[in-house]
Amino acid sequence: MSKRILVIDDESVVRRSFVLALENSGYLVDTASSGEMGIERMEGTKYDLIFLDLNMPGLNGVETLRELRERDKDVPVYIQTAFHAAFADQLRQAAEDGMDFEILKKPLSLRQIADITKEILEEAKITE
Amino acid sequence: MMGNTMYQIRLYIVDATKSSTKAVQELEALLEDKLKGQYSLKIIDVLTEPELAEADKILATPTVIKTAPAPETRIIGDLSDSEKVLAGLGLEEPS
Repeated sequence: MSKRILVIDDESVVRRSFVLALENSGYLVDTASSGEMGIERMEGTKYDLIFLDLNMPGLNGVETLRELRERDKDVPVYIQTAFHAAFADQLRQAAEDGMDFEILKKPLSLRQIADITKEILEEAKITE
Repeated sequence: MMGNTMYQIRLYIVDATKSSTKAVQELEALLEDKLKGQYSLKIIDVLTEPELAEADKILATPTVIKTAPAPETRIIGDLSDSEKVLAGLGLEEPS
C-alpha cells in the first residue's frame, strides 16, 4: 500500500512543489492550506509523514503540531522553517513540552524534497 | 579492524525531543561498538547553533556527517537501522 503524506503550508507554491517533487514517487500526497485544514485532513486518514510549515496565519506550526499530536503521537512530523535563531524559541518550547518533531530546511529544491522524503519513508519501512 | 583512523562525526538534532534522544543513544551505541576510542562525536542542536547547520548545509534533522576520514558522507533520518548507518559511515561489514 502506498505511503500517504500530508503537506500543510499556507503558500500554494510550496504545496505545489511537494506535489510536483513527489508525483512520480508512488507516494500519495494530500495538501492543506492551513493548520485547521490539516487537522481536518487527519480525521479518518492515517498519514505516514507530515510536512508542516512553521509560520502560517491562523494556527501556526507549533499550535498545529499540538493538535496533530493529540490525534497521532507517532507520525513523523517535519516542521519546515529557515534555520534562524528568531524561530528557535517557539520550537524549543514545543520540544520542552514533550512534542516530538524534526526540522526540515526551507526552502528546498524539488530534488531535495524527493530525496529527503524517500530517505525518511524508506527508513520507516525498514523499521516496521 | 579500522586501524588507527580517527573518525570525526557530527550529529545535528533538535535537542530535547524524544526522537533526538533516541538518535543520540543509537549513534553513540553504534560508535562505541564499532569505533571505540577511534571517534570524535559532536552533537549540535540546530535551534541553538543554526549558523553551524547553515554552514554544514543541513536539510533535515537528524543528520549525521562524517567529515574524516575522507570522503565526507551524510545520513539523514532515523538512525535505528545500524546497517544503513554503518554503510553511511563507510564501515560496512563484510558479508
